[in-house]
Amino acid sequence: MADLGVMALLLGLALSIYAAVGAIVGEKTAMAELVVSARRALYMTTLAAAVASGALINAFVQNDFSIKYVVDHSNTFMDRAFVWVAFYAGNEGSLLYILLALALISAISIWFAPKRLARSMPWTIAILAIIQLFYFGVLSFVASPFELLDTIPLEGRGINPLLTHPGMFSHPPLLMGGLIGITIPFAFVSGALIAGNYGDDWIDVARVSAIITWGVLGTGMLLGAWWAYTILGWGGYWAWDPIENVALMPWLVLTAFVHSIMVQKRRGMFRMWNVALLNIAFVLAQLGMFINRGGPVVSVHSFAASSLGVIFLSFMLASLLFAFALFLWRMPQLKSDRAMESFMSREASFLINNFLFLAVMGVTLWGVLYPLFSDLARDISVSVSAPYFDRTNGPVLLGIVVMMGIGPLLPWRKTSARSMKQWFMWPTLVGLLTIIVLVALGVQRPIAIFAFGVVAFVAASISEEWWRGTTARHRSGDNWVMAWWRLVNGNRPRHGGYIVHISILMLALGIIGTNFYQQRTDGALALGESIILDNYRIEYVDEGESIRDDRIAKWAEMSVYEINPDDYSQEIAFAATQGSSGFTLKDSRLRENDNLIDQIEPWHGFYPDFNMASVRSGIRSTIVEDLYVIPRDFLADGRVSIAVSINPLAWWLWVSGPFFIIGTMVALWPQHAVERRPVRKRKLDDPEGEN
Amino acid sequence: MAAGDPLLMIGSRARSPRAFAIFFIALSLLILLTATNCVREVDITLEQRSHQLAGDLMCPVCDGQTLDGSNAQIAVDMRLKVRELLDSGNTNAEVKDYFVARYGEEILAAPESSGFNLLAYIVPVVIVFGGIGIALITIKNMRKSAAQVNYSGTQTVSSPNEPADLSDYLAKVDRDLGIYIQPASSESYDVSSSQSDKENS
Repeated sequence: MADLGVMALLLGLALSIYAAVGAIVGEKTAMAELVVSARRALYMTTLAAAVASGALINAFVQNDFSIKYVVDHSNTFMDRAFVWVAFYAGNEGSLLYILLALALISAISIWFAPKRLARSMPWTIAILAIIQLFYFGVLSFVASPFELLDTIPLEGRGINPLLTHPGMFSHPPLLMGGLIGITIPFAFVSGALIAGNYGDDWIDVARVSAIITWGVLGTGMLLGAWWAYTILGWGGYWAWDPIENVALMPWLVLTAFVHSIMVQKRRGMFRMWNVALLNIAFVLAQLGMFINRGGPVVSVHSFAASSLGVIFLSFMLASLLFAFALFLWRMPQLKSDRAMESFMSREASFLINNFLFLAVMGVTLWGVLYPLFSDLARDISVSVSAPYFDRTNGPVLLGIVVMMGIGPLLPWRKTSARSMKQWFMWPTLVGLLTIIVLVALGVQRPIAIFAFGVVAFVAASISEEWWRGTTARHRSGDNWVMAWWRLVNGNRPRHGGYIVHISILMLALGIIGTNFYQQRTDGALALGESIILDNYRIEYVDEGESIRDDRIAKWAEMSVYEINPDDYSQEIAFAATQGSSGFTLKDSRLRENDNLIDQIEPWHGFYPDFNMASVRSGIRSTIVEDLYVIPRDFLADGRVSIAVSINPLAWWLWVSGPFFIIGTMVALWPQHAVERRPVRKRKLDDPEGEN
Repeated sequence: MAAGDPLLMIGSRARSPRAFAIFFIALSLLILLTATNCVREVDITLEQRSHQLAGDLMCPVCDGQTLDGSNAQIAVDMRLKVRELLDSGNTNAEVKDYFVARYGEEILAAPESSGFNLLAYIVPVVIVFGGIGIALITIKNMRKSAAQVNYSGTQTVSSPNEPADLSDYLAKVDRDLGIYIQPASSESYDVSSSQSDKENS
């Protein structure tokens, strides 16, 4: 098996060299056959990558412990379903997975590339082949997943316990796929620029591939957050960890791109800017690969850490140089067709939105690099973690949400005070009313109240557009649902965008709730004891234990009661004198208003081989708040030490996921209907059909 | 917060979209500044304070985790120490100083905004305001070049200006969107602005 894998990788290496050289030589000497042959060679690299991946997966299935990677990442009593996870659980395997994903999407995108890009295709093929060449080379010579061991052990080490979670079937592949996926729009746009194809032929390919990548990366990050929330026992879902940040940064730039590409599509503006955004996103993705594979930062995600740092750093610098040089070379040809007419136009608001996204990216990058900078400049180590990013990025992210309510309501070109008044009156009123109501209700934290007002403002602005469009169609005869459906179908990029905006609002609700209103307490409970936090009483009812070869698992069965705090006023008053909001109760008798609402089972597994614990939090989730119990440890005296928190609005974080995916798909769905823009009219004046 | 609401600008005092824009930018700057200064508050129970402080301190033996998120024994002990220091009346700053004195600056999850570390906070401000500034200047320059583009006629590469008459189409769009704008009934708005209203699609 190992031999087959090694050979497949070497074959892929040869094929990608041939594809790169063939495409360039074929283009330069006008030998069309050579270019066609290069294109086919690039299809074949997919096969090579697939055979190599198949060989590795097969080795896992067969428990082939002659291969070092298999020994390091599996054992005979591992759940067989996790073979797929083990495939990318370590450095070499994840590189192979990335190569497989890249080869596959390269082939698909070349296959479906529109005919009018024919002139730039050789260059696109060459760029894709060179990037594949890099991965084939690294996998063949530096980080081979098929490295053999001299002595074959009887048992493998097993999979990293943190990875044994259903989320791991999708989170890492989506994230890695999303990062490498940026290569596709980058290759198409760079190819067009090298070929001197300055028009807008590449818009659709770049837009579609960028949105797919963006959706995949976004979904991957959400799944990662969900995984952290449910299994890692960090008590949070996003820690602004360097590895999280390097995935977030290209996503932010792509977010800017998927907005501003619409300005190019509709108004012929921002060409230079869009090319620059794709270049930045691509380079940031390479930075992500570098930091992931042995970058100089400290992170909780060290699954793929390796000594490949220098290689990936060089590759990142090379791509930076290439992107920059290409951009400077072709910059003069990338002028806008039209000028900006007003500050109060959609194109202007898109530009401001773009700069805000880039600002968050820049601040995040600075936060990631600052510890290095401090080390180098004055030899003092510092840490830059969540509190820093909350403080610096929080306000800018809020500003982006504000823009989300303003931008879509502004018309293209320019607007008037009258139109502003017409469109902004209602959302502004709703936003203000929300703030007033929250203040009247005695809700605390001014910043959070303002943020809720902003969310309401944006929600109202989306509702307003949908309401106006739907009622207009309803008046012309459709029923309400059909009217709304036709509205969405009439301009899918726009309305898909609104659905994504709604998902972002949900995310914002969850972030505001958990960041500003979380309540927490700690305690160690013996059987029969309870811990009380706010209006919850959690009783430790029973314990469970299971010992397997690879782990010792313990769990606590706990009953969750909803209580009336008045019944416990004495204890609460006493706890308050101790400065606590929660407390432990020895006496497990129920009081008058105690009402059993749920059973939870926080789970704690210890893996001796890894000297590592993996926990599954007990969560009672409702639309208003999550009751969240992390089992920190099972103590020797039989007590369980837990951290309890109430996470307001956390439910909304996870609901946003489906909306994000649906919105992205709506925006991507091919548009058959006549688009809501003066297409036909414009074509009369525009013989080239470009607009 | 209510005093800074855009609505007030749209009322009788509204003069032009630009006034609105400037007002809006000033407002957002104000919000940014206030927001930066009170993300975390101290008027809460000692317990909540100790949890927040635990989130501001790194666990010294875990890679990139705060005390709050870590289950390591040293993190447990340090959390207890935080609580003990708060119980004996220390301020948040004093607690942080206590740990910095023992573990070095690295123990803080975010650098203090003083001395050399001010850089960590100044650069983001420069990035954000620089970014917004560049965006605004770009828009301004693009507007200025509007006239030149039209006269020189060389800059419009692949497509001509807006087609002359879209009014039928735009009227249809308006109907679809349910916008019924009275055609220039009020003298205070010129034709061109209501024209562009209609292009809101």
